[in-house]
Amino acid sequence: MLANIKFNLPHGYDAQQLISSLADKYAIKKDSYHSEIIICYDTFDWRLFNKSLVLYESRRKMYLRELNKNEIIHSIDISSPPVFIWDFPDSELKNQLAPIIDVRALLRLFNVQSRSTLYLILNQDEKTVLRLSNEEIRSSRDRHAPPLAAHIWLLPVKGYPKYYRGIAKRFEEEGLTISKEDTIYFKGLESVNKKPGIYSTKIDIQLNPDMRADHATRSILKYLLRIIRINETEIEKDIDTEFVHDFRVAIRRTRSALGQIKNVFPSNITNRFKINFSFIFSLTHELRDLDVYLLNEDRYKMRLPPSLRDDINFLFDYLRKKRSKALQRFVRGLKSKKYAKILNDWEEFLNKPKKASPTATNAELRIIDLARNRIYKKYRDILKTGSLIKEDIEDRMLHILRIHCKKLRYLMEFFSSLFPPQEIDTLISQLRKLQDYLGVFNDLRIQEQYLLNITKEFPVDEGQLNNTGMAIRELVNTLSREKMMIKDAFAEIFMDFSSTENKRLFQELFASQIPEVYNENIGHLQQ
Amino acid sequence: MKILAIYSNKGGVGKTAAAVNLSYLASQAGFKTLLCDLDPQGSATYYFRIKPKLKSGAKGLIKGGKKTYKNIKGTDYEKLDLLPADISLRNFDITLNKYKRSKKRLNKILTPFKDEYDLIVLDCPVTISILAENIFNAVDNILVPMIPTTLSVRTHRQLLIFCKRKGYDTEKIHTFFSMVDMHKKMHKELMLSASTAFINVLENVIPYLAQIENMGIHREPVTVSSPASMASKAYQGLWNSVEKIISAEKMKGDII
Repeated sequence: MLANIKFNLPHGYDAQQLISSLADKYAIKKDSYHSEIIICYDTFDWRLFNKSLVLYESRRKMYLRELNKNEIIHSIDISSPPVFIWDFPDSELKNQLAPIIDVRALLRLFNVQSRSTLYLILNQDEKTVLRLSNEEIRSSRDRHAPPLAAHIWLLPVKGYPKYYRGIAKRFEEEGLTISKEDTIYFKGLESVNKKPGIYSTKIDIQLNPDMRADHATRSILKYLLRIIRINETEIEKDIDTEFVHDFRVAIRRTRSALGQIKNVFPSNITNRFKINFSFIFSLTHELRDLDVYLLNEDRYKMRLPPSLRDDINFLFDYLRKKRSKALQRFVRGLKSKKYAKILNDWEEFLNKPKKASPTATNAELRIIDLARNRIYKKYRDILKTGSLIKEDIEDRMLHILRIHCKKLRYLMEFFSSLFPPQEIDTLISQLRKLQDYLGVFNDLRIQEQYLLNITKEFPVDEGQLNNTGMAIRELVNTLSREKMMIKDAFAEIFMDFSSTENKRLFQELFASQIPEVYNENIGHLQQ
Repeated sequence: MKILAIYSNKGGVGKTAAAVNLSYLASQAGFKTLLCDLDPQGSATYYFRIKPKLKSGAKGLIKGGKKTYKNIKGTDYEKLDLLPADISLRNFDITLNKYKRSKKRLNKILTPFKDEYDLIVLDCPVTISILAENIFNAVDNILVPMIPTTLSVRTHRQLLIFCKRKGYDTEKIHTFFSMVDMHKKMHKELMLSASTAFINVLENVIPYLAQIENMGIHREPVTVSSPASMASKAYQGLWNSVEKIISAEKMKGDII
């Protein structure tokens, strides 16, 4: 099938003259004028762009297409622009977007106006055999606004390739070039000074294996500070729950880096900021917990028999009110003098001129050596803890294992650029499976505890409370049953992670050439 | 994807006019539509200003595959394509007979198009032979235009008897009155009696109008050349009923 072709028109090019000149060989008819406002959307963290997708709205329809391609994958009618995935009407478009945008809000990236005039090329029967569209993209409706881009489109009619090829050749002879770029998307972004993909929570730090350990650690921490700063300004707007989540993850990663990349900074600095970031992290707990409950409202309801589903609404209404207060408290925390001082001091520390002869014992090590040492040590902690978990599985032990896994995951992500990508990705993905398992278990455990305590906080309304209480008890029972089922799967999941193949890979990548690294917990030089 | 045949075993009843206008209205309603002109006279093809020519003729068509696909032409309207007629289709019956499973051949020919189109409309020639059986086997619904005359009613009865004898589902046959002259008492009376005598008779009536005959001059659907005309309104009403039929079928299919 012939595809639409887009020719670039250089600035100031007389398209009208070009089209008129075709009349020597072709019958041309001016058909219609078309003007539309195109509004483009993506999430704050560019989830659609990262999947090479473009989502846009025009004339009460949403369209999804691939970046740099013209064919629409899906389109739907809308009554108002959807913000979250649950605002979309059921459709193939929704199904494709759901796993990508998940719980993130769609934000308006830009809007542009497209004005186009359609011309028809006719054969001797006056049948349309090719369409030409002269399109101009402007950043506003203002007639005098300079165009961001101008094109001529060749829109083939099935079964008439001769005309399509003939005119394409003619345009090329006129010196026009075929545009392969997604002009509307990139020019639209440019018009509002946005750079696609600029924000991502995925750790992407390029380190050099020979870098001094303290310098490399500063790079990691600066990267995390940037994420903290970006999110803290957005949290108050309450656009979606993921700003708090990303903020929290960046704080946790910062704490983990301070705790796990040992003795690269003076101990008084490390200790002070470990306490400071622990304080900031504690500010997020309540809000994040409530977000998780509310995001899972439908899943909770599905766990209940249909007769009890309405009775649980009282709980979620209560949690919604609680969340709104928790958000206010958290925002107050972010605006506090204490928070500002911590972050300013931290920023100042990270940007301090690098010392030529640092005092911390591991500061001058090559980062690759320290990375290997720390990753391998954490890996062995996991194997050791996992092997202690026998038939009678204690919740506490799974919790400890989960924390070890988290620390290992962060270390592997911080240092991933130092190792062969394929191997490190394989190991991270193996670890992720174990983490997913432990995460599900932990969520069930916390939810069970939370629900058991929540009824004590409810305002007194006996009738309502009885019904809601019954629904909550049913939910607790279900969660408890699920928890037991999850526990049964531990041996198999852990066996996969501790497989000989994984051991070999961990050894090959991280165990070799371990240098002398000072570990303050043991207090002696460790081989 | 649905396949709809505009079929009659009697000539000159307004099949092609209905096929052309319904296909256009379907495409306007958002259905990606393919109109197959199976009538060697090629009137539907003519209305869309397309040359009645199939590469490799009826034989090529029967073989199906990519070659058939290359014969498809885009019309002047978005979402509406046409598989043109060809003079060699006059022997379509005979050619079909030479192939194995000759009664299900048309189904096989149309299979490659099922992914691309939401609706395939067949403008059928007058036939009640092996081609008719191919059509009955391939389609989801059959729409029969009927002029309210004694002969038309008799022909329709013959069709229903034929289908029953051959075991085809008469439920998928719907009828509408075509070329109706409301001034004629006989038309009115016959419409009344036929509506009770047959099942699936649509309420929509296509009147006998010069606007429809003028399609040959304008070479475009009357729903394009005179969108506000009485003829256009009548076809729009017919399309609304047809859309309900094909959508209801679709829902039934989805549940299964």
